Amino acid sequence: MKAFVIAENEGAARELCAGARTVADSVVLCVVGAPAITGVADVCVHIDVPAGNIADDAYLSVKSAFDAQGADCIIAENALRPLSLVGRLTAALGTAAIAGATEINGTQASTMYFGGAGVRTANAEAIPAFIVGSGVFDGSAATGTDTVEELAFQAPANAVTKQGEEALPKADINLAAADAIVACGRGFSDEADLQLARDLAAKLGAEVGCSRPLAEGVDWFPKEAYIGVSGAVVSPKTYVACGISGQMQHMVGCNGSEVVIAVNKDKNAPIFKQCDYGFVGDLKEALPALTAAL
Amino acid sequence: MNILVACKIIPDDQDIQIAGDGSLDFSKAHQIVSEYDLNAIEFAAQLGEATGSSVKAISVGAAAADDSKVKKNILSRGVDELFLTADDAATDLDSAATAAELAKLANAADGYDLIVVGTGSADFYAKQVGVHLAAKLDVPYVSGVTKATVNGSTVSCTRVLENVVENVDVPLPCVVSILPDAALPRIAGMKDILAAGKKPMNVSAAEGVAAPAVSTVSLAAPAAVDRKCEVFEDIDSFVAAVKAAL
Ligand SMILES: Cc1cc2nc3c(=O)[nH]c(=O)nc-3n(C[C@H](O)[C@H](O)[C@H](O)COP(=O)(O)OP(=O)(O)OC[C@H]3O[C@@H](n4cnc5c(N)ncnc54)[C@H](O)[C@@H]3O)c2cc1C
Ligand SMILES: Nc1ncnc2c1ncn2[C@@H]1O[C@H](COP(=O)(O)O)[C@@H](O)[C@H]1O
Repeated sequence: MKAFVIAENEGAARELCAGARTVADSVVLCVVGAPAITGVADVCVHIDVPAGNIADDAYLSVKSAFDAQGADCIIAENALRPLSLVGRLTAALGTAAIAGATEINGTQASTMYFGGAGVRTANAEAIPAFIVGSGVFDGSAATGTDTVEELAFQAPANAVTKQGEEALPKADINLAAADAIVACGRGFSDEADLQLARDLAAKLGAEVGCSRPLAEGVDWFPKEAYIGVSGAVVSPKTYVACGISGQMQHMVGCNGSEVVIAVNKDKNAPIFKQCDYGFVGDLKEALPALTAAL
Repeated sequence: MNILVACKIIPDDQDIQIAGDGSLDFSKAHQIVSEYDLNAIEFAAQLGEATGSSVKAISVGAAAADDSKVKKNILSRGVDELFLTADDAATDLDSAATAAELAKLANAADGYDLIVVGTGSADFYAKQVGVHLAAKLDVPYVSGVTKATVNGSTVSCTRVLENVVENVDVPLPCVVSILPDAALPRIAGMKDILAAGKKPMNVSAAEGVAAPAVSTVSLAAPAAVDRKCEVFEDIDSFVAAVKAAL
């Protein structure tokens, strides 16, 4: 069995290649439009992308790399460019990827359904292809060679033109390493009230995170700060959810926490069935009280 | 210009019941538009207004997707016409088969210049149907789009990737996948909903659906996490309990 891994970030490449070794005896890593990554696979196929092109358009080259390697299983990083490439590759192969795989077993994988309301096991009839998020496999187990094979970028007939790009600033937040997290939801009606969460976080030595709506639409938080099925999956000792209703899409991101504390003014909020200690009431009352007492 | 927007009609996950054997029961669920596809509809509607284009929605789903409330909901958001394949033969399709059905609708909709898709469907959240549709139609695809302006035969897009923002020119026709940030869904008024009932709705059964390459083996509720669930209405007892626990 030979696995073909599509990844662009070193951390993801490590994890996915290590995971690929658990299902295949040979691993090829395909890196497009980013520096070649070595030491994690048997071969790194590296495709450089000309300045005026986008990595997503390297699909003809990726298909020839896949054919030349003769791989029989595909694992792709859950990031936009690899998602484009795995989509084009599976389309060309007459198949489709199983997304959000949390466990791979031959041609089958377990995935989240409706953001965690269900667990679905799916089976691929032909060449199995899996899209895998971060934290599923252990990157420290990655091993490999320094072999890099360069492959030329082949533009499609109707190529996209890249006019320019600008690096995004790196967010100053590290939820994964946090011992405690204070998470803010739509129950905060005013951006200034976030200070109440920051004060509590300072007392607890906690990071401040949020639900997805506070990092989207309103830009109160960077994308890296939201927790959930499509954001960060965290497992701190203490998780304080303030003004968060407790939708599955959020809770699958924090279910691994040791202690979950919830503040919500609606006594029927689903979060109260998924917490250890809950307070029914206004966060503007509860947060200062907690901060003062701890 | 012809703008299409692909939106998925699915059961509302708030209405999913967990049966005694751990299976998921959708029978009481209302049909809704997948959350982030509302943003895609809004984006398409705004671009339609800015460019004086027609905006048509395309959708593939189970027979239950042929629901008058949902159809009106879609058409009350600046969409001129709906093309819907509603058939139980079109449930649980993989990304490739879904895209193949959407491609048929795109052709039935009398041509397309720009097809807008959402960031991901609420049930699968695979972020794959858009690129499969582009592959099927042999047109360019870009994802992560937050802004788009049409200049003649290309659309200039800002795309926000994980670590970089790219400015790209995409030749038409093409498929673009937008981020929810790109447009916030409007709240349709009574007048819009009434007008929606008079707009053309083309609903058809599925024909010759491709055999799926990926299929569901099992589906069940996740194991519940064990929590104490001590809920207080009195702030002092709550603070005391938290203090004791930490
Ligand atoms: C495909 C998909 C992926 C998604 N991924 C994610 C994800 O990764 N992470 C995520 O978080 N969401 C995600 N979502 C969105 C998710 O479904 C919910 O919409 C979201 O989690 C709700 O955020 P919230 O709890 O902050 O807001 P709401 O659901 O609006 O809840 C706000 C809560 O605040 C309470 N409240 C209001 N005022 C006060 C007050 N003064 N004091 C105390 N409480 C108050 C209310 O009672 C309410 O319960 C996803 C959705 C989809 C469709
Ligand atoms: N059955 C469908 N009908 C219409 N549009 C769909 C369907 N499935 C997916 N899409 C579109 O493709 C996007 C990505 O879906 P997915 O790949 O399932 O995450 C969605 O946001 C929709 O815009």
